[in-house]
Amino acid sequence: MQGGSSGVGYGLKYQARCISEVKADRDHTTFLTGTLSLKEENEVHLLRLSSGGSELVCEGLFSHPNEIWDLACCPFDQRIFSTVFSTGDSFGAAIWQIPEPYGQSNSSTLECVASLDAHVGKINCVLWSPSEKSDKLISMDEQNLVLWSLDCSRKSAEVLSKESAGMRHSLSGGAWNPHDVNSVAATSESSIQFWDLRTMKMVNSIERSHVRNVDYNLKREHILVSADDESGIHLWDLRKAKVPVQELPGHTHWTWAVRCNPEYEELILSVGTDSAVNLWFASASSEKKTSESPVEASRQRVNPLLNSYTDYEDSVYGLAWSSREPWIFASLSYDGRVVIESVKPFLPKR
Amino acid sequence: MATEAAPMDEKAKRMRDLLSSFYAPDPSISTSGSSISTSFDNINSTSFDADQYMDLMIKKSNLEVLLQRHVQMAAEIKNLDTDLQMLVYENYNKFISATDTIKRMKSNIFGMEGNMDQLLQKIMSVQSRSDGVNTSLFEKREHIEKLHRTRNLLRKVQFIYDLPARLHKCIKSEAYGDAVRFYTGAMPILKVYGDTSFQDCRRDSEEAIKIIIKNLQTKLFSDSESIQARAEAAVLLKQLDVPVDSLKAKLLEKLEQSLDGLQINPEEARKLAKQNDSSNDAESDDQRPAKIHEDAVRGFSEAMRAYREIFPDSEERLFKLARALTAMHFESMELYIRKRVSTEDFLGIFRIIWEDVVLMDEVLPEAALSDLSAEAAQVTLKQYVARMFSHLQQDISDTLLKFGINQKEAVEGEVLKVVLEASKKAVLQGTTDIFQDFHQLLDENTGIFIKMKELIIGWIQKGFQDFFRSLEAQFLVLSGKTSSSNDTEGGLIEGKSSDKIHAGLILVLAQLSVFIEQKVIPRVTEEIATSFSGGNSQAFENGPAFIPGELCRVFHAASEKLLQHYIDTRTQKVSVLLRKRFKTPNWVKHKEPREVHMFVDMFLHELEEVGKEVKQVLPQGTFRKHKRTDSNGSNTTTSSRSNTLHNDKMTRSNSQRARSQLFETHLAKLFKQKVEIFTKVEFTQESVVTTTVKLCLKSLQEYVRLQTFNRSGFQQIQLDIQFLKAPLKETVEDEAAIDFLLDEVIVAASERCLDVIPLEPPILDKLIQAKLAKSKEHNNNNTVSS
Repeated sequence: MQGGSSGVGYGLKYQARCISEVKADRDHTTFLTGTLSLKEENEVHLLRLSSGGSELVCEGLFSHPNEIWDLACCPFDQRIFSTVFSTGDSFGAAIWQIPEPYGQSNSSTLECVASLDAHVGKINCVLWSPSEKSDKLISMDEQNLVLWSLDCSRKSAEVLSKESAGMRHSLSGGAWNPHDVNSVAATSESSIQFWDLRTMKMVNSIERSHVRNVDYNLKREHILVSADDESGIHLWDLRKAKVPVQELPGHTHWTWAVRCNPEYEELILSVGTDSAVNLWFASASSEKKTSESPVEASRQRVNPLLNSYTDYEDSVYGLAWSSREPWIFASLSYDGRVVIESVKPFLPKR
Repeated sequence: MATEAAPMDEKAKRMRDLLSSFYAPDPSISTSGSSISTSFDNINSTSFDADQYMDLMIKKSNLEVLLQRHVQMAAEIKNLDTDLQMLVYENYNKFISATDTIKRMKSNIFGMEGNMDQLLQKIMSVQSRSDGVNTSLFEKREHIEKLHRTRNLLRKVQFIYDLPARLHKCIKSEAYGDAVRFYTGAMPILKVYGDTSFQDCRRDSEEAIKIIIKNLQTKLFSDSESIQARAEAAVLLKQLDVPVDSLKAKLLEKLEQSLDGLQINPEEARKLAKQNDSSNDAESDDQRPAKIHEDAVRGFSEAMRAYREIFPDSEERLFKLARALTAMHFESMELYIRKRVSTEDFLGIFRIIWEDVVLMDEVLPEAALSDLSAEAAQVTLKQYVARMFSHLQQDISDTLLKFGINQKEAVEGEVLKVVLEASKKAVLQGTTDIFQDFHQLLDENTGIFIKMKELIIGWIQKGFQDFFRSLEAQFLVLSGKTSSSNDTEGGLIEGKSSDKIHAGLILVLAQLSVFIEQKVIPRVTEEIATSFSGGNSQAFENGPAFIPGELCRVFHAASEKLLQHYIDTRTQKVSVLLRKRFKTPNWVKHKEPREVHMFVDMFLHELEEVGKEVKQVLPQGTFRKHKRTDSNGSNTTTSSRSNTLHNDKMTRSNSQRARSQLFETHLAKLFKQKVEIFTKVEFTQESVVTTTVKLCLKSLQEYVRLQTFNRSGFQQIQLDIQFLKAPLKETVEDEAAIDFLLDEVIVAASERCLDVIPLEPPILDKLIQAKLAKSKEHNNNNTVSS
């Protein structure tokens, strides 16, 4: 498939929603993506960016039994990842291992390490602990939050604790706090909830309806970015979470996902159903900004959008930064097209 | 001649040298300069050796020269001889005359001693006689002096005894000045001897003085007396050691009390101003409050003048009083303009105050009242201008909020239109009025105003700039789109949360912003350019105060933001609707479709509302698609078309199906591509409605993509979408995009369907017709019942 204006492209055979960076692969910039096809045999593609950054090479193609709704890579083992899948009328989540040697192409079968089968409802996502040595996992369905302990060698996962968020809340996703391994943010219908994993209790929440996605800022503690359908992107300071620190207009239609850059704290990427990827510059130095005169503020509001990548044919759902080369990100539109772009021209001067 | 002069000089010089050598004790000094150099040929030098000189001459010169030299020398010698003779003779002459003089002196001094002795004797005798006379007269003189002293004493005693009578006389004739003079004259004596023989006298005179003091005090306090007289009385009292300060204090207190009477009561101010205005035609009526006030102030200033003269040392106090009065005036003015005041009233009061100030300034020019009041006036005026703008803003927002826009009315009636028109008028009329008022301010000729014209113009320009800026901010606040940056304002409207703010209001605000950008700001700019230009001398450092370009930009941005916000709030509602629709049923176990789902009705209802609101507020677009004549016919055709498409798909082999489907959609997209879904919103009815519909359909598509359907679920979606097609095309200008989006929904549903078998066209048609009939019946019922 031909690439976009500047980006490197790669086409999946079927529609797809999720892409994840293989963080544990320290030698290459690698992404893992899985297809979403109800009727066909679904695939997981291991994509590696060539050293020149000009080509996206398929390093492995594995069949996956069901359509993939969520995919997350293990932070410490580059061969392990998790998926959330659907069989049509029911959902499941599992940990998979890419067979060795994974360089061999074509339809090797994935090895199931463990099945996270403590759920009944619709599973939303699986979160890996941000700490690299930890073997903790969280899986979320609409009502429950389950903390797992994974033992790769014994190929088993064990439920450490399970807590219901209640019928009303209807969880939809979340993010694990990289600054505090005991804290997880979960999005629900009416709020962003913060859970303490030691007690498995909700300790805090931000009232905000229909939040679709959240991400922690890796560089700055207490800063959380949220995206919702209605009013774009919000930056929150968790220490005073009443009012957002900053607002970004988001997308013309829904903003589907947001990701903070792992290296440049001001850069935020968002993808939306208006078939665009937006790159934002959000300084979010909270105190100063609010006290500025409205004129200043409005001027600042004008230019947070650094660039909008619009070379997509369908809604964009998947988004991942590269942590090895933090100016590179991968995006995945619904029609199965992976596009790698570089934000180098927009990097803030240091 | 020069050759003659030179030897003459030579000669004189030689003479002088000779003389000096003669008188000089050390010959070497006098001739030191020339002796050495001319040791041989200089005859005059002491070391001159004649033989040597002779030898030299003979050796050096020939005969002729020698002869010549001889002649010359002989002549010189002869000359010298005669000179010497002359010298001796002259000196001798002088000796002779000196001897003569001495001889004469000797003869004159002879016999002087005897005369001197005689003179001494005579002077001695004169002195002794004078001593004799002096001693003989001494006694008598002593006596006379004693008598004189006694007489003086007696006269004083007499004066004191007469004092009471005299004082009484003075009282009768009101000659208080004399009386005081007498009394003060007698005072020291009375003080010393008052306890003894003069007791009665003292008492009497003190009584008299008391009367005098009393009289003087009454005189001082009586306003009928002339200022001069009162001043005199004050001076006299002071002379009598009466504590004048307390008197003064009392008087000033009285004056201060009268201040209260002078205060302009805000309530009365209006009346005052009114009457002052009409003073021209109603001159006869003296009882008008304005007149009264004027008299009062005049009296006050007169009193001040008097006190100033009476107590020259009390100036400070008076200054304070006058300043207090001015300050009070301006304070009450400030209070007054806190309420809404017409410019005429404002100016009326201003005039009154200014008159007062002028009156007082005449009396107390040193108090710098005019400066003080000019400052105060500046502050007040500035406040007034600012207040006018805030009133205007208040008016506008009142107009906007007056009509409690609620759901029903907004859609049914013409409320939005009314509100829009009213607020447009409020803005236009408001600015016109405010300009009129400013004209009045500028035309005013009262002292301060002339000086402040430039300032006022600056304020007006600045005021407009600020006004529009804050208006924009308020619009955003009213629309509920408060950003995090203004929490304080947001706190105010926290009560009415964002969903309580009616979407229609946002639309009105958006259109109003456009109106302001396109109509109001140019008008204001023009007006300022014609009447209020040039005043920004003080504002030039920051550039001109009023920047229409910037304001236009601000309002342009605001209008777009508000319009977007309107669409957002509208689509949000639909989004909630759709969310519920797709979250509730289990789509995998959906039952066969029996009828068009009711969410379609709600969706259309929402759209209808949008359409109605938009129609009231926004203008029609220039482009208008031709009206569809036969909606029913088109309905069936489109349905069959999509049906055939799907039928085609169905015939494909099962395994290939999905892939080909995907391929097909890709292909379709390639051709249909760039059906711009997210175009820029324009300020037309059609554009807004279209954008809303597009966004809603996109949301619908996204919701569909998140679900998994069984055959019946898919059919339900198919049915609903099919039903939506006709009414949506009715309302929307961009048919292609709507078609595309509707198809996209179907495609999305089919992609997410486990078993894609579309409904047969006849069944589809039947169900749609049933729904149409039902809704028609429903409508009829509604109209009948209502």
